Amino acid sequence: MMQENSLGRSMAHPLTGSVAPALIVAVFAAAFMTPGLLGNYEVEIAYRLMLYICLAEAWNLLAGYGGLVSLGSAAFVGVGAYAFTSALNAFGVPPIVGLLLAGLAGGVFAVLVSPAVFRMRGLYFTVGTLALGEALRLFMVNVPWFGGSRGLFLDADFPSREALFWWALGLLALSQFLITVYTRTRLSIILRSVRDDEDAAAQLGVRIYRVKLVAFVVASMLMGMGGGLQAYKLGAVEPYGMFGLPWSIDILSMVVIGGLGLRYGALVGAFFVITLAELLADYPEAHIVVTGLVLALVVRFAPRGVCGLVIDNWKRRRSETRGSEREVQP
Amino acid sequence: MSFEIIASNLLSGVLWGGILALIALGLSIVLGVMRLINLAHGEIMVAGAYCALVIGSLTGLDPLIALPLIAAIMVVVAVPLQQLLLAPLAGKGAEAPMMTTFAVSLILQNLFLVGFSADTRSIGQGYSTQPFSIGPISVPLIYVLGFVISVGIIGAVYLLVNRSAFGRDLRASALDPVAAASVGVNVRRVHALTFGLGAACAATGGVLVGIALSFTPTTGAAYLLTSFAIVVLGGMGSIFGTLVAGIVLGVIQSIGALVLGDGFRDLVGLVLFLAVLAVRPAGLFGRRT
Repeated sequence: MMQENSLGRSMAHPLTGSVAPALIVAVFAAAFMTPGLLGNYEVEIAYRLMLYICLAEAWNLLAGYGGLVSLGSAAFVGVGAYAFTSALNAFGVPPIVGLLLAGLAGGVFAVLVSPAVFRMRGLYFTVGTLALGEALRLFMVNVPWFGGSRGLFLDADFPSREALFWWALGLLALSQFLITVYTRTRLSIILRSVRDDEDAAAQLGVRIYRVKLVAFVVASMLMGMGGGLQAYKLGAVEPYGMFGLPWSIDILSMVVIGGLGLRYGALVGAFFVITLAELLADYPEAHIVVTGLVLALVVRFAPRGVCGLVIDNWKRRRSETRGSEREVQP
Repeated sequence: MSFEIIASNLLSGVLWGGILALIALGLSIVLGVMRLINLAHGEIMVAGAYCALVIGSLTGLDPLIALPLIAAIMVVVAVPLQQLLLAPLAGKGAEAPMMTTFAVSLILQNLFLVGFSADTRSIGQGYSTQPFSIGPISVPLIYVLGFVISVGIIGAVYLLVNRSAFGRDLRASALDPVAAASVGVNVRRVHALTFGLGAACAATGGVLVGIALSFTPTTGAAYLLTSFAIVVLGGMGSIFGTLVAGIVLGVIQSIGALVLGDGFRDLVGLVLFLAVLAVRPAGLFGRRT
């Protein structure tokens, strides 16, 4: 499903590449600052959207551009959440430092586990990361450190709804900046060459391990910061929730439904899945069943997700109009 | 810690490992023949346990007697499912089918939740708590029964794969599907039946787990990972390796639970799994490729 987007395709539109991400951030900010537009409920949803867009962007970089389909996102979210809580509790650092430390913790954890997980290729990587996430959750539940199965309470004051919104917006902006830079420089081409054929890329002199590691670390830092922000919001962390499989599942579903390896796949997918979740909020089981069904249908009939469908449709329409023009001309 | 406790624990680890090997065998066959990572394997296993629960309450049939029936039901359900969802994805890379099984696992988990609630269930039987003693060593009788049944089924699958016409087609499809198809093997049919066979192994294993321990709609994930650990340890597609690895893992889990506490049971297996994956991805008994 990944080989379909040709290299360099995303380089074709020099303007949309950097304007659109800035626009997304601006739209969120403008909506929030317009008085009376967003109520408490909408602000809450906007927070969740921004958090998940950030996480999904990170995962899309890893899986979509790097071919590293991970089911262990929860591990990095959890590490970030615990790092944030521990840093604020132990050293009383301000939240911004806590968030940076959460990102750092995610990145360092990625470096630590990379020798093991990078030995696994393709599908084995997926299973390995799944095992990593579950192992870490069981570890946190069973060891007496870090509050054990009951977790930790954050000593800091609860942030206001407004403050949380701005933090999430900052995180969204950071993720958009990082991913835009990543996908619009040669880093992305090298990463995709590793994804499409690791051996061929290696023979061309690409340092496979380093290229994967950079993407893994960048994605894990974003996930760690996302986890840190969520810990700030909740005011407490516990292993079942922060290291729970739902993080990994939600993020994967969003990107696959939106469009794996497409620049706006994460964004569209996050909107789609969160809207679906809100529409089915009264039927939590149905929500996951429907997400599963949509996921299966997308994989079967739209391998490049919603974004892929839109792009293909647009291309077909354009080629059709061109075709008819050509018929008229002679 | 007395000798009796340690010996009993080791023996129950060996016996439990046999049951784990049966569950893992289903995953291993599907992985070896179809190159499919079946992320719904744990849910198929749990489906077997719920199936035994329903059959038991409807007919009063003993779950061990009902095993062939449950296996047959699983094949009948799994084969069309494979043809509907997975067969059309052939040739679209390895990820699309894996994502589909992931979606199936989400759907199944929540169907269990809706149908049977989140309560912890057990297929209680008179013999599930009865002890089996050899001198001072004592293990639950169901572990012994489960081990015998599991090893029996694993042996039957071994004969099926190595001695039957279907097994010949299966081995040919596993080695090279294109070449197999060119000499007249119906690879699509082999894949469908392999998926059915894998589901039947998981489901019968699930029934044994359901009698010996308990299960909930979300139990499957832990067994999926344990199965992966066994498959990786034993080498993909090796039936004998799967049995040995299952027993090894069962013993290691027992030791882990004994030394560190019961909560560490699954963690020990996962850490071993990650370590083996990192050091020797082809498995302890697999050939390096």
